[in-house]
Amino acid sequence: MKWIFYHLGFLFFTPLMAEEHVAKKSYTLWDAFHMPENIEENGHLIDWLFNYTTIMITLFFIFVVIGIVGFCYFYHHKRHPKALYTYGTKRSQIIFATVIGTAVFFIIDINIVRISNDDFTKVFLNWPDETKEEVIKVEVLAQQWSWNFRLAGKDGVFNTEDDVVSTNDLRLPIGKKVYFQVTSKDVIHSFWIPNARRKVDAIPGRITRMWMKFTKEGKWDIACAEMCGTHHYLMKASLTTYSNEDFKNWLTQAQNHSLAENDRGTQDIYWGWNWN
Amino acid sequence: MAFFEQHIHDEPTNFLKKYIFSQDHKIIGKQFLWMGIFFLGVGGLMALMIRWTLAFPGQAFPVIGQFLFPDTAGVIPPDTYAMLFTMHGTIMIFYAITPILIGAFGNFLIPLMIGARDMAFPFMNMASFWISFVSGIVLLMGLFTPLGAAASGWTSYPTLSTLIGDPGQGQTLWTVAIFMLGVGSTLGSINYITTIITLRAPGMGYYDMPLSVWGLFMTAVLNVIFLPVLGAGCLLLLFDRLFGTTFFLAGAIATNGSGDPVLFQHVFWIFGHPEVYILILPAWGIVSDLLAFFARKPAFAAKTTALCMICITALSTLVYGHHMFTTQMSPLLTQTFMTLTMTISIPSAIFFTNWLGTIWKGSIRLDSPMLFALGVVFVFGLGGLTGLYLATVTTDIYLHDTYFVVGHFHYTMAASVLLGGFAAIYFWMPKMFGVKMNESLAKWHFWLSMIGLNGIFMGMMIVGYGGMHRRLYNPFVYDFMQNLIPMNLFITYSAFLMGAAQLIFVYNFIATLISGEKTGANPWNVGTLEWTIPSPAPHYNFKEIPIVRCGPHEFGNPNLPPGKDFQYQTEELVKV
Repeated sequence: MKWIFYHLGFLFFTPLMAEEHVAKKSYTLWDAFHMPENIEENGHLIDWLFNYTTIMITLFFIFVVIGIVGFCYFYHHKRHPKALYTYGTKRSQIIFATVIGTAVFFIIDINIVRISNDDFTKVFLNWPDETKEEVIKVEVLAQQWSWNFRLAGKDGVFNTEDDVVSTNDLRLPIGKKVYFQVTSKDVIHSFWIPNARRKVDAIPGRITRMWMKFTKEGKWDIACAEMCGTHHYLMKASLTTYSNEDFKNWLTQAQNHSLAENDRGTQDIYWGWNWN
Repeated sequence: MAFFEQHIHDEPTNFLKKYIFSQDHKIIGKQFLWMGIFFLGVGGLMALMIRWTLAFPGQAFPVIGQFLFPDTAGVIPPDTYAMLFTMHGTIMIFYAITPILIGAFGNFLIPLMIGARDMAFPFMNMASFWISFVSGIVLLMGLFTPLGAAASGWTSYPTLSTLIGDPGQGQTLWTVAIFMLGVGSTLGSINYITTIITLRAPGMGYYDMPLSVWGLFMTAVLNVIFLPVLGAGCLLLLFDRLFGTTFFLAGAIATNGSGDPVLFQHVFWIFGHPEVYILILPAWGIVSDLLAFFARKPAFAAKTTALCMICITALSTLVYGHHMFTTQMSPLLTQTFMTLTMTISIPSAIFFTNWLGTIWKGSIRLDSPMLFALGVVFVFGLGGLTGLYLATVTTDIYLHDTYFVVGHFHYTMAASVLLGGFAAIYFWMPKMFGVKMNESLAKWHFWLSMIGLNGIFMGMMIVGYGGMHRRLYNPFVYDFMQNLIPMNLFITYSAFLMGAAQLIFVYNFIATLISGEKTGANPWNVGTLEWTIPSPAPHYNFKEIPIVRCGPHEFGNPNLPPGKDFQYQTEELVKV
């Protein structure tokens, strides 16, 4: 008997205690809803399309709800005892259904496809061109359960002994295009920077690509978005975005550091690949 | 139309032959129903454990936690958490929804609604149930292996599901179980298709079939085409695990020749996307029928609804690539799949128009099956429309693998299919067991479930929009998700409300079976063939094979004599 009360108490009071714990920091309603802050030049494209889709489908859904609730009220058998005898096959009714179907397709869907396709091909797949501007190249190797990052060293060539290699710690400048090449050592992971709105899968045996241009200095989370085993949730890295000057200082320091400290004898530091 | 002689054999008197290894479609349907409800309970309990972990990480699961996880004093450990969500997904999709809607109602309704005495292949029907049953046991056996059950998600992407990521026997058993279930469901589906094509009562054309049968028919077609594909994928995965082949290994881990892990994703999703429609089509059919039955009005453009089902069935085979946008397929494929996915909204929009057209100017009776059917229209509206974000490549790049996806597919697959299943149970209970469920408890069940499931799945979409990704043991190790803690608490409370609401159903169901109100042959005043025979349906259903003379939704014909607002399908259509 005592045992039952113990567990009942547990069932009811644990949630209350947890709530108290949460209540320490108070959140407004907006805090509980919003997306992570956008720190990427083209992140607003995704946000804009999200909001546009939301408005469109909300309008459509409101019609559906008005239909369900309104018809159930006005045509309830107490108010409307005699149903209309129709098969819905009159010319006007068929035209009505067809118009709705095609209107949804052309007004909502095709618009979204067009905008999304423009963003996708003209922006996200418009890979940075090294001959025209300075591009920061980063090689990302995912493994259970951490992220390895590699920036080319002073020689500008990957997989040499002066590369700047780090685990779970990525530092990049703002205002410059950053070009990632991503792969995985063991299982499929997904390289995700929530604040930059984009992710790309890290797949063993192939290299996937993503480019970004950060606009805000600060410290942000990098996460693995694809289930990759027991400690998937701990596969977390930090992204630090520096101003250009700070980044240069840090890079020089890091390059010197890696030249001095890298153990050139071990094969472990040569996990990179030739940039392609 | 060919007519086949359907013999009447004597009812078996032996208990084993009558109730266990029965070849009677009604008994097999009930067996599937029990199996489905059992697994629904197991999967639901797993869902509660998952929700508990997400809201109260590091706290002991109440009441039963101490027994299930004694090593950690009741706290769900991270590896068990991975097993829980894997098994929850697998069980709910393959062992709860599939048996209830396709197994139970497919078996029970198809012969009764088309005026047949049994399925075309009764023995195959029995084999289908028992293979599924054994496959369920194989799946659960995984829980008792040393390294525990499968833990790589219900999608089981290699290389996580190969020996590289999951060396335990649980994953092997999972693969075997899914393969077996595929065999069982394929047998069942071949049976459904043959029965519908050959055993329709004389006079019944394809468009005279109730829309429920149409939904089940299309489901069976998809099952027959795509379950073998999944079976092939499972076999290859099994070879990788047991015989050292490398179909799905690549990169540094492929020391013995190289395959491609993305290949499995293609194989899986070419089955996996139709699977969504496999699950939802029976519910659509049932809803289309129920709306007409309870609005006392012919189904609006029933032929168009059936044609839309065919159209969606065809389209569903062409869109699977939208599950793989982040694997960086060729941009041409990405654009193609995005556009094709969007075309599905044309038949879907026509569906909604027809559903609303059916209740427009009806004489609506809000009995519990009607409430559940309207609930399906509501939740499927939300689920279908939020699919737009995920079909669009740029928004999908943000939302892929977040809780937004989880919320979306639970709306379409869990909420609408569950509500559709409950609608079917409440509606056909009189024909299955000869008793009617308690109506006010059913309404409580409906409203509490509606509040609960909308709280859960809407909440999931909101946290997904906030950036919370899937399958995290403890999301709050991330800084950017701290603000999502209150919403996660809310979802968990909603989940417990939803769970409690199902207890009302279980009580109502059992109490009705024990001492329910007996009903006559046709308690709902509906004219389809199953209501022309006594309740519960007798052995071999129809003493004489009925002859069909009109459509399934003949309500409110002004030429009917006063006091009567429907006619049976066996009656000649009343004209002036």
